[in-house]
Amino acid sequence: MVTIELTVINDSGIHARPAALIVETATKFKSNVIFIKDGMRANAKSIMNIMLLAAEPGAVIKVETEGPDEAEALAAIESLFLSRFKYE
Amino acid sequence: MPDSIEFNRLEINRKRSLPVRDFYYQFKDELSLTIKTPESSLCTEIIEANLHRPGLALAGFTGVYSYQRVQIIGTTEWSYLESVGAEKRREIFARLQDYRSPLWVLTHNAGLHEELLQMCLTQNVPIITTSRETLDFCTEVQDILEDWFAPYCSVHASLVDVYGVGMLYVGESGVGKSECVLDLVERGHRLVADDIVHLIRKGHSIIGKGNKILGHHMEIRGIGIVDVGKLFGIRAIRNTKKVEVVVELQKWRDGENYERTGLDPLTTDVIGVPVSKVIIPISPGKNITVISEVIAMNMLLKMNGIDAAKLFNEKLIETMKNKSRLNSLTRLSTEVYE
Repeated sequence: MVTIELTVINDSGIHARPAALIVETATKFKSNVIFIKDGMRANAKSIMNIMLLAAEPGAVIKVETEGPDEAEALAAIESLFLSRFKYE
Repeated sequence: MPDSIEFNRLEINRKRSLPVRDFYYQFKDELSLTIKTPESSLCTEIIEANLHRPGLALAGFTGVYSYQRVQIIGTTEWSYLESVGAEKRREIFARLQDYRSPLWVLTHNAGLHEELLQMCLTQNVPIITTSRETLDFCTEVQDILEDWFAPYCSVHASLVDVYGVGMLYVGESGVGKSECVLDLVERGHRLVADDIVHLIRKGHSIIGKGNKILGHHMEIRGIGIVDVGKLFGIRAIRNTKKVEVVVELQKWRDGENYERTGLDPLTTDVIGVPVSKVIIPISPGKNITVISEVIAMNMLLKMNGIDAAKLFNEKLIETMKNKSRLNSLTRLSTEVYE
């Protein structure tokens, strides 16, 4: 299992569009991808899970990946956060 | 996303002409038509959906004269012809002799002027009178002609009215279109056509209907041909329906990205008209019927200005905005107290 702490740096937080992108990215990997925020654990392969974190701009999310391709999955999620979820 | 059914690649047809004979016999009673020229004059063909009121041509201006259209003599034109007298009328129709229209119609059952009759007899063009009023007649005939000349095509699909929403099911053979349709009918929805759907573009709408021979028959694998109208009764069928959603049934593909939020609805081009499109991945145990009903109801909500996906997202963004405002406030207050 590998983990990383990521900050939401886009302007409006993780709403439906960024959430859809996260799910799209996470489902490409075999590993489990878990987002943890304020003690709440969310499966990154479920859009409702991700949206209900209501991760506002500036929020810090702990990302946990576990499985055969955990490192690649973590890197992909990280670059998505850094790209400000492409849209914005 | 792959588009397994491409409507723009379909062969789109258009009828070139409508024989006046067919028009006359089909609508004789409905439009209360009476023919004033010999039966043999019904040999012309209508080639345009528009009607023409030849007021200016009668008054002498033939520079621009849509003579190839059906000519309508309404009260205005008739009163003008009546007012100018026989001598002038002879002159008018002698000048129009060179322009051969497919059909002349007199509304209000107005008295036919001998000079017009003579011209049409020489040209071998029919004259029809109707008891209808001009506007009434024109609206109806315009509609008939537009239907006739509308672009149309046939697709391998099924059309069902689900809660009043026209849903066109497309997808490869064997994906389960007919089974889905049967399930919908069983739940009280109405079949328009299965397997072959004729689509006509009318204005900015696509109207679908079934094949005359096929009617509301369906082929169900393992059973054979069944008659939905007889099996389920009149409530289970309807003859035409506007196509409002194209539902593409697709075998589940790993790695394919299916719509998750509903914020970016798909559309597909059907004979030049954009129509909403939904792709449903099919996997064993999935109830497409319930999903179909949800698509229909969600569509109805959207038509009524309620977009659930959009509203949900707006609420979410608002929540996050408040949260970050709150965060900065608490940060500020701790700074003060420290």
